[in-house]
Amino acid sequence: MSAAHPASQVRRTTPALSASGLTRRFGNVTAVDGLDLELAAGEIFGLLGPNASGKTTTIRMLASILRPSAGSAQVLGLDLVREADAIKRRIGYVAQHFALYPELTAYENLDFYSHLYGEVHPARLTELLATYGLERFRDRFAGQLSGGYKRRLSIACALSHDPELVFLDEPTAGIDPVTRKELWDLFYDLATSGKTLFVTTHYMEEAERCHQLAFLSRGKRVASGSPAELRAGLGGRAVWAFDADHDPVLMSRLRNLPAVAVVNRMGQSVRLVVEKDFPQDQLRELLAEWPGAGEPQPVRATLEDVFIALTESNS
Amino acid sequence: MTRLVLAIMKKEFLQLRRDPRLIAFILFFPVVLVLLFGLALKLEPENVRMAYVDQDPSLFSNLIKTNIWSEGYFTLYEVEDEAAIRRAIRLGEARAGLLIPRGFSAELTENAQPTVRMFVDGTMPSLATAMDNKKHAITDDAVTGDMYFLDPDADNVVIAPEPFHLDVEVLFNPDKKETWFFLPGVVGVLIMQVALILTGTAVVREKENHTLEQLIVSPLSKSGFVAGKTLPYVLIALADFYLVLALSTWLFGLPFPGSAQWPLLVLALLYVGGLIALGLAISTISQTQQQAIFLSIFFLIPSILLSGFIFPVEAMPSYVQPIAWVLPFTYFIEVIRGLLLKGNGIADLYPHYLALLGFAAGFIALSIARFRRYLD
Ligand SMILES: Nc1ncnc2c1ncn2[C@@H]1O[C@H](COP(=O)(O)OP(=O)(O)O)[C@@H](O)[C@H]1O
Ligand SMILES: [Mg+2]
Repeated sequence: MSAAHPASQVRRTTPALSASGLTRRFGNVTAVDGLDLELAAGEIFGLLGPNASGKTTTIRMLASILRPSAGSAQVLGLDLVREADAIKRRIGYVAQHFALYPELTAYENLDFYSHLYGEVHPARLTELLATYGLERFRDRFAGQLSGGYKRRLSIACALSHDPELVFLDEPTAGIDPVTRKELWDLFYDLATSGKTLFVTTHYMEEAERCHQLAFLSRGKRVASGSPAELRAGLGGRAVWAFDADHDPVLMSRLRNLPAVAVVNRMGQSVRLVVEKDFPQDQLRELLAEWPGAGEPQPVRATLEDVFIALTESNS
Repeated sequence: MTRLVLAIMKKEFLQLRRDPRLIAFILFFPVVLVLLFGLALKLEPENVRMAYVDQDPSLFSNLIKTNIWSEGYFTLYEVEDEAAIRRAIRLGEARAGLLIPRGFSAELTENAQPTVRMFVDGTMPSLATAMDNKKHAITDDAVTGDMYFLDPDADNVVIAPEPFHLDVEVLFNPDKKETWFFLPGVVGVLIMQVALILTGTAVVREKENHTLEQLIVSPLSKSGFVAGKTLPYVLIALADFYLVLALSTWLFGLPFPGSAQWPLLVLALLYVGGLIALGLAISTISQTQQQAIFLSIFFLIPSILLSGFIFPVEAMPSYVQPIAWVLPFTYFIEVIRGLLLKGNGIADLYPHYLALLGFAAGFIALSIARFRRYLD
């Protein structure tokens, strides 16, 4: 899918966020390892990575919830460690887990979180409820909302103080595609209004929607750029695809072919990420043994191909 | 069916095993509590401090004192006069008093049946009752018999069957009402429950709810967090404090002297403040609500049993008594009984007030120090 990106904002000269060598260790586990990042103001930045790759830890460090073990960062032009208090007033954070008080109503949650930042305009809260489709649930207990509405409420809570930079940790995990699309429309609105969004995800479809991406694998950044740059940036590698019925033996034979980096089944088709010197003849010979196997064709790389290739080669 | 039950049981044990702290609590607390109570709890007091005035030092008065002493029940120390005895009991320095009057030995030899006076702190009915049972230490035949035979000057004197009268005066709670003894303490126990259990789980619940992270990310300051988290429970605890007191006065006639109003408010604020802060500290130390509740109870039980609430601190062996002095409840009990039953004021009880102030300051400092502005 190709998501229509909104008209790019006028980029300010100072980045909204820049980090260098950001590192966090838990005991002898290095959750985030020497991470460099740069976010332009008004863009939607996606941090991509498999589970346990360090996405949440990265966001928590940048939101002053965890202290970095090493490295430094500037958030909205302020020093992450020394000026944490000033940063906190200007950022919003939507945690991966719902952080709502279940025994408070939707409005009471929103009201509470907005009071933490001092300024409270009831009109603004009502407007936020409307924007996030929560008017009907205004007086419903947060604990009784469905997952999608809990997520909407969490986002509304994080935006109650009108932050310039918003961190969203897997904001659409476990959310149906329609709600996901609606949320992304709202994210684009936010970005268009000048806010910078830092989103983590492991949904490829969602990654395509971001302006800029960084791939995280085992705490290290393994690639970065726009979705188009990343798709093109499989290095010298190529992607081949063909139809075939599922057969574990075939899959393992494919994996054992020289210069094949990734074997990935997508429904009826099998996708291979292969090196430059990939011997096409061997693949054809192999497939000839399998009745019903289609003709292999070079195809355009998707982000998923890139993601899997980068993740697997790093492990 | 059984396999199902076994499967669930196995899962429960596995879960418990993965919470090493809880295991430590579960195994460690019983050991500590059993040792503590096995060593500490006796209903029979020992070494109760008794202030005495001997206005007629003589063989006879010495005999009485020695007999009291050797009973192992009282520790005697001398004061100036009857007023000093009463003051010592009022201030809790002594629980009992003994006055041997002027001319005691002369009257004794003249068979005039002089009166020996004893005083006992009625705010501890168990003590007063025990004292009644201990009277024989002075009055039984063995003692009075000695008094006859040991007097070298007594030639033609016939000693009456009861050589002297013993007049026991119960101070402050003349009817020795047990309810008056317990009710003031019940207030303190209730406050402890509210403070430790409610506040103790308050921060952990934010952790379990994942809302703590959302608070940390906000510009909320440490002190703002601590104040906001604790003040509601301070108010609840204060409301409880006065509710229990009101009920105790209405239903059970617990005295409430008008002069006690302000000292009582100061007491309530210090005690509630300290315990709420302790609850908060427990909450920041604990990782789960279960752990917090366990820790709270671990604090509650010794407080109830070792503070003088039920058993006089004097009844504990001297090496266990220090535990009583590190429990805020011990001071609370002493102060509230003093205020309500003995008509004491802050001036009389200031060392106890200072101790409570110290606990409050310490626990508040601990809870603020323990509260992290980062999740790590
Ligand atoms: N508080 C913590 N203590 C110990 N290890 C942690 C903690 N938080 C995260 N980790 C470890 O750090 C790694 C990265 O975790 P996380 O940042 O949550 O990854 P992601 O969000 O990408 O799934 C994981 O191996 C995780 O177990
Ligand atoms: Mg995560």
